[in-house]
Amino acid sequence: MSMDDSKSPSRLGRLFAARGMGQVVTAAFGLVILCVVFGILNPIFFSGRNVGNLLRQIAPILLIGIGQSYVLITGNIDLSIGSVVGMSCMVSATLMTMGMNPWVAVAVTLICCLIVGVLNGCLVAKFNLPPFIATLGTMTIARGIAQIVNNNYNTDSIGPAAEGFRNFFYYGRLGGLFNTIWISLALWLVFNFILSRTRLGRHIYATGSNKEAARLSGVDVVASTTAAYMVSAVCSCVVGLIVCATSGMGTMDAGNMYELYAVAASVIGGVSTLGGQGLLLGTVMGASIWGVLQNGLQFAGAPVAIRNIVIGVIVVVSVLLDVVVRSEKRRRKRERKEEAKG
Amino acid sequence: MSEYIVELEGVGKSFAGIRALDDVSLNLKSGEVLALLGENGAGKSTLMKILGGIYTRDTGIIRVFGEEIDEMTPKRAKELGIAVIHQELNMCTHLTVAENIFLGRELLRSGMLDDREMNIRAAEVLSRLNIDIAPDTVVGTLPISKQQMVEIAKALSTNARILVMDEPTSALTSKEINDLFHIIRSLRDQGCGIIYISHRLEELQHIVDRVTILRDGKYIATTRFCDTTMAEIISNMVGREIKEKFPRVETPLGRTILRVKGLNAGRQVRNVSFELREGEIVGVAGLMGAGRTEMTRALFGADPKDGGEILLDERPLRIEKPMDAIEAGIVLVPEDRKKDGLCTKLSIRENVALPNLDILKGALSTVNSRGEREMVERTVKNLSIRLSNAEQNADSLSGGNQQKLVVGKWLAREFRVVLFDEPTRGIDVAAKAEIYHLMNDLKTRGLGVLFISSEMPEILGIADRIIVMCDGRVTGEFPAGTATQEKILECATRFEDKLGLAAGD
Repeated sequence: MSMDDSKSPSRLGRLFAARGMGQVVTAAFGLVILCVVFGILNPIFFSGRNVGNLLRQIAPILLIGIGQSYVLITGNIDLSIGSVVGMSCMVSATLMTMGMNPWVAVAVTLICCLIVGVLNGCLVAKFNLPPFIATLGTMTIARGIAQIVNNNYNTDSIGPAAEGFRNFFYYGRLGGLFNTIWISLALWLVFNFILSRTRLGRHIYATGSNKEAARLSGVDVVASTTAAYMVSAVCSCVVGLIVCATSGMGTMDAGNMYELYAVAASVIGGVSTLGGQGLLLGTVMGASIWGVLQNGLQFAGAPVAIRNIVIGVIVVVSVLLDVVVRSEKRRRKRERKEEAKG
Repeated sequence: MSEYIVELEGVGKSFAGIRALDDVSLNLKSGEVLALLGENGAGKSTLMKILGGIYTRDTGIIRVFGEEIDEMTPKRAKELGIAVIHQELNMCTHLTVAENIFLGRELLRSGMLDDREMNIRAAEVLSRLNIDIAPDTVVGTLPISKQQMVEIAKALSTNARILVMDEPTSALTSKEINDLFHIIRSLRDQGCGIIYISHRLEELQHIVDRVTILRDGKYIATTRFCDTTMAEIISNMVGREIKEKFPRVETPLGRTILRVKGLNAGRQVRNVSFELREGEIVGVAGLMGAGRTEMTRALFGADPKDGGEILLDERPLRIEKPMDAIEAGIVLVPEDRKKDGLCTKLSIRENVALPNLDILKGALSTVNSRGEREMVERTVKNLSIRLSNAEQNADSLSGGNQQKLVVGKWLAREFRVVLFDEPTRGIDVAAKAEIYHLMNDLKTRGLGVLFISSEMPEILGIADRIIVMCDGRVTGEFPAGTATQEKILECATRFEDKLGLAAGD
């Protein structure tokens, strides 16, 4: 009976139906299990020192994951993330080796990255290019810029003038935790607020769920899509700065493959690649699972090749699980409905 | 200010040189329901998209509440109190009911979304319309008919004074249609003007005050509904009197071709038994959700079966996948031709060839392109599909011609039984007649035709025998001569218990 059907889900049930909270909980379970397993295999896993390192490993993956999640929720994809990380790293380092004030260099870098974000948004939303192709293009362009900016060489050390910069993005600590962790946490809070509590966030979900319906409801889908690409660019920019501060120089291939790591973090956390669905809380879970696996497997003595294979399997399985659960849910729901009807 | 709230005068619109609208006028008064009628392609939807600001007109004048509007945009239309409920569902299925209702005009409190307030207000709108849905339900989890009601609630929640409804009832159950008509009447009494587009002419008598008819992008007539007859309306729509609306052909009945015994597939197909004979059209009537589509899908092997026997020419058949059915000579013309019937992004040629590649196999398993061309030419000619070029994409065809194409791809091969699932849905009167003739043609060739339709007149007019389904079961069977609408409806609402009857779904 359809009336019961529409009324029946409890408040909790409706919460879980919305946006993909179910997948977040699943991912959280997975994360806890992984932590327990690695903790048993090697007690050092839970040592304060390792937890600090682990969190610092997770931070950049979380940041690019946030950016990719935004774009995925609008129903698109951003392949330029890794190259923008590289571009951010190279542009900021080059400017600093040229003697520019580090914070001015950061501002210039941010503007460069935002230009890529806006370009992505325009190509995809305004000119309706397939996002895969458009961002494949900007990915190559941004990598090219990363290479050309210092005449196809990695930069020299960014020098003592940039110690404040390095301290802020790399070795500084606050309350015992590395600044990197605080930066990603702060950005997560801001972007999570925007996505869940503001009109822009709602429009980003609506655009990904049904672009035409959103447009006809008066949503500026070009603006919401572009905004998502800009968030992605900002996140990539910050990660590039972190990489630069970490190594103390600009490396041209920084951020290689990061766009795909970002997809993995998002997808493991339940963000739908089809748009309209996903929570940044899930991205935290996805990035954490990613980091815990890398770190834990390393502790367990697994070579890089094995780590890659395991993570690849996790990505596929998490999506597979979601598909299976969803079709099972649909089947049960249909049966319930028919039961009530009969 | 004149008595009209909407005045369209001499509106014209061309798409890539093709005239979609030519000097069309339409007036809407406050407190009336105006039916906008015409065949598919007559320009109704285009005209309404111009009124809603989605298309811009080439020529003509738009006046709303007496004010001339130069540039109409979706935003401007909304401000003027015009709400358009489109034919296709336009919901963000991942968002909740309230989120959809307030999409694009979210309520804020100190810059943040005020979901509490939006849920409360959405609940008010829903209860005012007597729609029993919680506002924080995710739209995608609702059945299609409820989604349609949400769509309507969304349009009404803007306090629109001018409402355009494009085929609002096609996805609704009869109870919901009644509710909707109730809503429309009360809106009319509150002084709203409603433009109502529908192919279901029999609905009009319940709500319509005046009728405006378009044909081929031109204005034909406007009359008061009570001063006209259905025959006049139809003849205005098609430009000719249709004397024999349902062409019935008498053929001698042959042997039983298809015998279905105790077919079960989930809750929607329960213990369904029937038989189909050579030269016979069996109509399957029922309300939406009666399990008719599910029955054809299970029969065709598209969905798994839980049990039952299928005999073709008295020989038992195992159908586990569509290929089994096709090889045995059972073909399906599905309900949703764009989704299930055609590969819309492939050419007409490729669509015709697709299920017949086994016949068209050349050396080294290549596709015999000459055979393919001949097959396409034959199909297009036999069914008089109107196209300029067989290399066009299938979705460039009109609805009726697409439907013919779905049938045509099967006609290229031998088969015994054809299952038509709502073949006339959403196509114009002339194309419907062609589909009827096609079914009759198949029948006279001694094939068995199963014809599912929700429109009782056509089932009564075309089928030789009618079976009625309700709630996944066969609840009645009549020879054409003895069936009446009342009898069919009585069987179609024969739910298992009173609870189901009350829901009417």
